[in-house]
Formats: sequence, C-alpha cells, structure tokens
Amino acid sequence: MDYRLRLARRMLFNKKGSLIGAVLAVTVGILVLHVNFVIFQGLYDAIVRDITEYRNGDILITDESALIEKSDITIINWLSRIPDVDAAAPRFSATGEINVTRSGNLVEQNRVPLLGVDPLQDIRASTAHKTVSEGTYVYARNSIVLGSNIVDDLGGVRLGDSIEVGVVDRWGQDQTRRFIVSGIAKSPGGQGLDYTAVVHIDTLRDMLDRGGYTSSIMVKLHDPATAESVRDLFLQSFPNDDFKAETIEESAEQSLAGFRSGIAMINMIGYFGMMSSAFAIVTIQMMLVNGKTKEIGIMRAIGARRQDILVIFLMQGILIGLIGASVGTGVGLAYTFYAKETKLSFNNSLPLEVSYDWSKITQTALTAFGLAVAASLYPSFRATRMLPVEAMRYG
Amino acid sequence: MRNLTKTYGTDPATSVTALDNVSFSVKRGDFVLVVGSSGSGKSTLLNIMGLLDKPTAGTVRIDGTDTTSLSEGRTSTFRNTKLGFVFQFSNLLADLTVLENVMLPIQIAGQGGARQYAEELLSAVGLRDQSRKRADRISGGQAQRAAIARGLANRPTLVLADEPTGNLDSVTSQKVVQLMKSMCSKLGQTFVVVTHDHQDFGRVDQTIHMKDGSLIAGEMREVSV
Repeated sequence: MDYRLRLARRMLFNKKGSLIGAVLAVTVGILVLHVNFVIFQGLYDAIVRDITEYRNGDILITDESALIEKSDITIINWLSRIPDVDAAAPRFSATGEINVTRSGNLVEQNRVPLLGVDPLQDIRASTAHKTVSEGTYVYARNSIVLGSNIVDDLGGVRLGDSIEVGVVDRWGQDQTRRFIVSGIAKSPGGQGLDYTAVVHIDTLRDMLDRGGYTSSIMVKLHDPATAESVRDLFLQSFPNDDFKAETIEESAEQSLAGFRSGIAMINMIGYFGMMSSAFAIVTIQMMLVNGKTKEIGIMRAIGARRQDILVIFLMQGILIGLIGASVGTGVGLAYTFYAKETKLSFNNSLPLEVSYDWSKITQTALTAFGLAVAASLYPSFRATRMLPVEAMRYG
Repeated sequence: MRNLTKTYGTDPATSVTALDNVSFSVKRGDFVLVVGSSGSGKSTLLNIMGLLDKPTAGTVRIDGTDTTSLSEGRTSTFRNTKLGFVFQFSNLLADLTVLENVMLPIQIAGQGGARQYAEELLSAVGLRDQSRKRADRISGGQAQRAAIARGLANRPTLVLADEPTGNLDSVTSQKVVQLMKSMCSKLGQTFVVVTHDHQDFGRVDQTIHMKDGSLIAGEMREVSV
C-alpha cells in the first residue's frame, strides 16, 4: 500500500470523531436528497399514476371540437387490434345539478361534474371502480356513484337514496332524471372520482341528447413506454378526423407542470443541503489539518514534498467521500426500500409511488463524493503551504 | 557553512539576529557537537543546515551542493536523500508503527527494500521486538532510538540531531549517545548534534561553541562534507 494512503487512512481513522462527523455530513446530505426524491418524486409519480388510472389512461383521445363524433365502438375496436393496447373505454363529461329530496322536500342542491362511463369497459381500462369504498360501481342505467366530497356537500347522502340529476341538453332544454345512489367513491389523495358523480354513459348521452358522442377515450397500454408510438399510429390512422391523442405527460401537463417545478425547487434545496455538508467537511478537514500540523512538519523535514502532503489530505477527502457516499446511499436505499414496501403515505393520503431511479441514485452518490473531495482541496492545499520549521515549532 | 546570518524581522529596530556571520566546516564521518546555552542560535543553525529554514545571508554547502540555491522541490528531495533528522522529542508519527516510521524516508524517496533495511536498523538500535507497536506506545528512550533509526534510514550524508537526549533520563541518554556514536563509526555517517550539555557525549571529533548567534570556538575548514 502506498505510504500516503496508509498515512491518510491511519490519520483519519485515528480521529474517529472527525471521521464520524465528516461521514455523517456526507450521509445526511445524500439522505436528504433520497428522502426528497422518495417523498416528492414519489408524490409526483403517485399523482401521475392516479391520473393515469382514474382519469386519462396512458393515452387520452379527445377531439379538437370538444366531442368525438365517430362511434366509440369503431375507435375501441380499432384500438383493440393494436397489440400494445390493453383496454380502452369511452367517457362522457358534463356538468349537472343534483337535487336531494327527502319526503318530497328539497334538502340540498349542488352543481357537480358528471362523468358517464361504460361500466363493462371502464373497469378494464381504469381502476376508478376500485375507489368505491361503499356500495358498488355504476351497474345500471339508473345507478349513480357519488364522490365522497359531493356526498359531504349534499349533506350526507346515503347508499340507496334517490336523487335527481338535472342537465341542460344540446338544445338548451332542462332534462332531469332520478338515480339511486349505488356507491360512494373515495380515493386516497383525492385524485380519483371524489369530486365527480358517475353515471352510465348511455344515460348521460340520452339526457344530453348526444347519442353516439363521446368526450374522451382513455387507453390503457400493456407497457406505458409504448405510449408515444401508439399515439402516433393512432393519429396517422385517422388523418381526416380532428382527434387529439395525448400521452399522460401531455394530457396531465397542466396539473403536473407546477408540481414539477416544485420538485425541482425541493431538489435544489437538497443540493444546497449537500453544499452545507461540503462546508462541514471543509471545517472538519481544516481541523484535521490543524491537528496534524506537527506531523506535516515532520513529514516535510524527512523529505516529503508539498504534493505528497497534498495527496495525503486529498486521500482523506476521497476516503471521507467514499465512506460517506456508501453509507449515505445505503441508508437512503434502506429508506427507499421501507417507503416502497410499506407503500408509504402521509395522513392516509395517496400512497407514494416509490421507485429506484438508479441514475439519480448514482448521480447523488457521485455528487456527494465529488463534493467531499472538492471540500478537501482547500484544507489540503493549506497543509502544503506550511513551512516545516514553523509546523514543527507550533504543531 | 559560510558567513551564515539569520535575522528575524525586517525592521532594524525590532529585528533579531539569531545567527551572525557563522562559518565552519565539518569533515565527513565526524561526530560534531554544537553547544551553547538557550538562545545562542544553535537550533537556528541546525534548521538552516537541515534546509528547514533559509539563511538571510550566507551559503550552506553539503556534499558539494550549494543548498541555499535549491528550489522548493529539490530542497525536499535533498532533505530526503542527503539528510537525516533526530529531534528532541523523537517526533515519530503516532499514527504509524515503529517500523513504518523507519520505513517512511525510504518510501518517500520511492526506493525499494524499505521494510528490510528498516528492520535491520531497528535490530541495530535494539528495537526489533518493538517494530509492530504504534509509535506512541513505546517509551521515550525507545522512541528516541527509533528516531535515530529513522534518521539513518535513507543512508544520509549528514545526520542532524537537535537535543536528542534533552528529554531523556541520564541512563537512557547515555545509551542514546552511545548508539549515535556507534552508528556514526559503523556507517561512516556525519553527525552534527546540537546540545546544551555536552558532558554526556564524552570525546567527539569537533565541538562548536555558540553564544549570541556567533561561534566562540571551532575552526573554519574548507567544506568537505
């Protein structure tokens, strides 16, 4: 072993307090980034996951003119022939008014978003039905599933209650129909149908006099990575229609853009945290150098050159960086593993979508290592500037 | 050493002259004592001879090389290859074992066979059985003997010792003195030993007496080290 490495190692390991302090500084820096990633990227991915599963699918097909006129059956049949497509389901969105009456008296009235679904196809393309915490999903033309927030707004509607839903049809006429509350939907995090009233798509079409029309078709893929190619294939295959086909990143862009900048900001704060770790290392390394003044003088007296001293203290920085990056990454991965296995959530909110982003993990470890080495540069350089006679006299 | 002067400070009113026009020479293989009371300039002289400090004026020629004109890097190399040091408090590196301390000058020089020669030296100073111990786990006398072994590790032309017995009891001092003298005669290396009490050393080849930065005894010879 090179004598400089041996000396660097011994000097560092014999000052356990400094070693632990420096390693902790790197570890905490890395851990902050891992925790940030797990929580904020996990939250972001969870929202993307929920929007994908409950609302937009991997690809969302709409029409430039708000409604798709082409038969949803035709489109879904076409999509079902694409091997990458797992399922597709039509949806119709509108706004309506819900009136709750008890013993013939109107007790509550509320305007709500209405969503028409094809129950048979919807449960294949979406997991929205799984958010029905009480009762069942839409199963008949006159059944309605209410989001938990609507239930609260309506003053506590119960399963089996009969409610009246009113809409304005395409001709401007009020249309009302009675529904039986078959289920109440509540999703952790509220990205599901919590603010929506779900009815059968054909019933809603009838009420609006929009037979055959569709607001959107959500497409579920076997592999979300193929979204762009399926989207492009779809648009190429229907060149004469005004279809819009968007991947989840495109369709949810508005909802996610703000969140993404939030994550970038949080990551920046994390990196600032890492910078403070670097300052801690500078301080600890300065202490190590100051504590070894006499040794530096002796080394210089017996012939060590300035670069030998530089190498010794830089090696200490490398050792701190290596140990700190390993311990930090280990602890960070342990936290990530815990968050993933326990489907970590806060206050019963949506469970985080935790993933191992190996490029990010590697980048974090390398950054921490680099900072630890960089933080050692100045103290190492300082060590080389010591005059042997002065170092031995005052060491 | 020719016309060596060392002045600390640049303001004539407050500057201190530690060495004042000191000249002397040492013959190769001699055992030389530099004696004087505290503040006489003997340690300054040793630091300048050991290239640890630069003189304000004058030249130091060792083995034919004018060391005062060497660059920083060459000075380090010169210290490593031509000079050996023995300090008052041994100054072994506490993080290393006794053996590793003795190996160090050879390893700095990038030469092979460090372990073998260091073990030979430790045997010669009677510390072979202590070689694996950490340097801060041995007694003061043993540490000083190890320091002598380290000072000889690179087969230096000149060994400089600064109060090598100053921190030892009289029995141990005698052993260390005998060791240095025997190494001097056995290996043919020149020893210049700074001490305030030369009685311990008995008969030596040359004694340089210093007072207030000047030589009060000693002879000027042509440089022959």
